[in-house]
Amino acid sequence: MGVGYVYSHYRSPEDQRPNFFKPPTFDSQYGFVQGRKEREMVATQQEMEDANLPMRQRDYCAHHLIALMKCYHDRLPWLPPCEHLKHHYDDCQHDDWLIRMREFEREKRLLQRAKRKKEKESLEKDIGE
Amino acid sequence: MSRIFKMASLAVFCRFPAKSHSLAPAFVRFAGYWNKDWKPGPYPKTQKEREAAANKYGLRVEDYEPYADDGDGYGDYPKLPLVSEEARDQYEDYDMPSSKRNFGEPLNVDFDMVGEERMNYNYKPMVPYWMQFSILFGIVGIAFYSQFAYADRPFFLPVMPKSYPYKYENGQIIKETHYTFETAD
Repeated sequence: MGVGYVYSHYRSPEDQRPNFFKPPTFDSQYGFVQGRKEREMVATQQEMEDANLPMRQRDYCAHHLIALMKCYHDRLPWLPPCEHLKHHYDDCQHDDWLIRMREFEREKRLLQRAKRKKEKESLEKDIGE
Repeated sequence: MSRIFKMASLAVFCRFPAKSHSLAPAFVRFAGYWNKDWKPGPYPKTQKEREAAANKYGLRVEDYEPYADDGDGYGDYPKLPLVSEEARDQYEDYDMPSSKRNFGEPLNVDFDMVGEERMNYNYKPMVPYWMQFSILFGIVGIAFYSQFAYADRPFFLPVMPKSYPYKYENGQIIKETHYTFETAD
């Protein structure tokens, strides 16, 4: 990861920068002909509540985390047997991070496309007149 | 010899010339041992007294210069340059190598302050102090300025905020739907 993307982000026009503090603004299914698969939540509210998970950990990887913490609780202080569970949890978090990156990129490209469409419309309107 | 070292190790680190009237000179204070025979003589008034004092301390007459007799002086004790022991040549053949001193060499009034493991007034750093401070405040100043000047353009990682399955709001738990980038089955 370089710092180049930060520089190009702030050099680009303001209406073409995704706002990374808010969720995406475009419709989630826009452009996907066959539709997108839904993310499924495996751990239930009751399970998360019983495990006393803080709010920031109640995400789509919570079932892996609960299993991992149970393994830790059972096996302290020798923790290498829990490595494979930690690997599952880290993989899930990594996939979540990749989804976030792709959302950012999608948002950026859709903003650029919206700008191009608007310019083309205004051009056609001028020509039509 | 051992008495001198013990004296030097117990001496105080700063000058404390006791104020007294001009005829009785102030004494150099050691927190160890003092002998009345070590007390310097009175301030020399005549040229003959000056020559005698220079002779006593092993100096040439033209080099001899006592401290001013204004109540903070040291009698006829000469004014010598304050050279730290650390700054003296380490390869010279001294009579007393452990204290870097020759026999009969006159000592500065505050010689105990500038021993080998004590203060060094002749220290000159490789990078001068003004350059050290200018580099420090330059870099820190740039960082400080950048925080305020570029606060509206922060560093970020190119990701959208994390999406959670449940939203907790007003005591309600609302289920939200989010999607991956795979095609629906």
